[in-house]
Amino acid sequence: MRWLTLYARSRQVPASLAAVLAGAAAVAALAGIGGGGTADPRLSTLVLAAGAAAVSVGLGGQDLALDRTAAIRWVPRRAAHVLLCGVLVAAVLWAVRAVGGEPASPAFVVRNSAGLMGLVAVGAAWCGQRYAWTPLFAWLPFAFAAPAATGTTGGTGVATQVLTWMLQPPGTPAATWTAGLLAVAGTAVYATGGPRR
Amino acid sequence: MNPNPGRTNLRVLRIELRRSVAPWAGVLVLVSALAFLHLVPGAWWKGPALWTAQWTSMALWTRFLLVFLWPLAVGLGALQGLRDSRSRMSELLSSTPRPARHRAAALAGTTAFALVSAFALVVLVGAVRVLAGGAAYAHLGWLPISLVGALALAAGAVLGMGVARALPSVLTPPALAVGAFLFVTLLRRTTDAEVPTSGAPNRLALLSPLVAEVRQPLLTLSAPVHAGQTFWLLGAAATGLALLAAATRRGRVLALTPLLAGGAAALLLLPAGPRDTYVVDRAAAAQVCDGPVCVTTAERARLGDLAGRGAEVLRLLRGALGDQAPTGIRETTLLRGLLDPAERSDDALLLDFGDAAIGEAGGGELTRALVAQGVVPLCNARSGVESGSLEEAVAQSIAAAWVLGDLRQLEGTMHGAKDWADEARPVWEQLIALPQPEQRRRIGALHAAAVSCSGGLLTELTGGASR
Repeated sequence: MRWLTLYARSRQVPASLAAVLAGAAAVAALAGIGGGGTADPRLSTLVLAAGAAAVSVGLGGQDLALDRTAAIRWVPRRAAHVLLCGVLVAAVLWAVRAVGGEPASPAFVVRNSAGLMGLVAVGAAWCGQRYAWTPLFAWLPFAFAAPAATGTTGGTGVATQVLTWMLQPPGTPAATWTAGLLAVAGTAVYATGGPRR
Repeated sequence: MNPNPGRTNLRVLRIELRRSVAPWAGVLVLVSALAFLHLVPGAWWKGPALWTAQWTSMALWTRFLLVFLWPLAVGLGALQGLRDSRSRMSELLSSTPRPARHRAAALAGTTAFALVSAFALVVLVGAVRVLAGGAAYAHLGWLPISLVGALALAAGAVLGMGVARALPSVLTPPALAVGAFLFVTLLRRTTDAEVPTSGAPNRLALLSPLVAEVRQPLLTLSAPVHAGQTFWLLGAAATGLALLAAATRRGRVLALTPLLAGGAAALLLLPAGPRDTYVVDRAAAAQVCDGPVCVTTAERARLGDLAGRGAEVLRLLRGALGDQAPTGIRETTLLRGLLDPAERSDDALLLDFGDAAIGEAGGGELTRALVAQGVVPLCNARSGVESGSLEEAVAQSIAAAWVLGDLRQLEGTMHGAKDWADEARPVWEQLIALPQPEQRRRIGALHAAAVSCSGGLLTELTGGASR
């Protein structure tokens, strides 16, 4: 128990938990002003992305070198950390949507929270804990800006589906594969290598 | 002690530029903006709303890129602002006699300089391509749009720095970047109505530096929008600088004053409704004519080709329709919501270059499209995002075939070749089997039905057989 408490504190869990909740609340409040009900996939994705960015600061400790001196098996611990974060972020979205009166589609929530957490984990392994949110943040606006122009013309190619996977309706194979690949690759890379210094 | 403070400051700036992430921020902005415009398919790729077709379109599309550039600038600024606390030397710095505002200016100045230069380069690339494309309507009304965009990037970065300095946590950069993205996304305008509208109150939506996508190229932003946004952004930048330099809690609270003042001034200046926000550029929409053919000033480059072809088309139409034939050709300037009916005219053939059948046609195909539009003016507009009705596409191609011979599908409509052929072939064969005067009467009836938008175009051709 003591280990868990210390671990949670070194991973800034209280602060990022507060940030996850604040992000969800901000999206819900702003959605009321900006229009577009809670069923909008963009809003759900925003809640998930804000959550994933917030928990990403916990993907590394205060002192990496000190962490690595601990003779414990890091791989399962790191994988569990990523998985738990994904579950937490998904649960917050679920709660927000349930309060809004429209429960989210489970396939959508699972796919997007897995994919976005994978993206954050890749970020931590590739750019370090401090910049772990940058790959997620690089992808997010592209996905949001791209479909508005092409969506109404109907014919969206596989490339567009991959690019905008986080906004595709659940059951789109290209989007599911992209998210799955990101989740698996991200978790694996982070679990084995840990955050980059 | 210091004989030449100016030179020292310059050296500090140079070191800052070399040592900080500022150049990388500039490169990131430049590369992602150009990559987005060239690699992601969208409305900026082709048609009249092409990003390099007109000066205003170029400025609006580059400004639209702020949807990701602005949060990026805020986030990068916040990362930059965390530098001192990260290196754990803020106490050391606060003990030096050099005023904090000097360091703040060096840090903010270099990042803002890099971001603004990168944005200017993107605009420059667009400007060169507009010049090379030979846009006929040259003006400077687009410049404020781009200037406010550059100011937005600089102000966003400086504000991000200031907030990160005031709240030095590793959470600050992602929170600010995602927050900025939320802000611009949720206040984003949709282009479905006649003028771009936002779900949020108009003044509030204008606090976001983002502009709507270009669907109707004649629309531009009005002057009060530029003025209000400039005040707001200057206020944000001043607050960022003040937060960077503030040492005490009281100083930090006071630093919020410019932001609030700028916001208040902006809310007073900004227009209340979307119609005063996006206005028709009158100079661009003014008609220039060559004989009976008129286009807007913005599309003047097409006039040379159209004038010769237009006279020929009007002659053909007179032969086909007699007194009912249009007497002139004019480009439509009506502002339309998405899926709203197209403009009607009793005596003029109306052109819409957003219709790919006309806008992207050249040579004989353009003549065919003009004849088709002359006999069967569209009720359901075609554009990059509207397909028009299949019935009209079929009726248009039959009308063109009746005048010019040779039944072919018009290029540029979004309907499948098979769908078109299934509808068109039987009607065409039935029509040409009739005696000549009856054919002429039915084409006349088709024209009348199309002008009045009463529908049932194909039943007019088949003589009410399937009525």
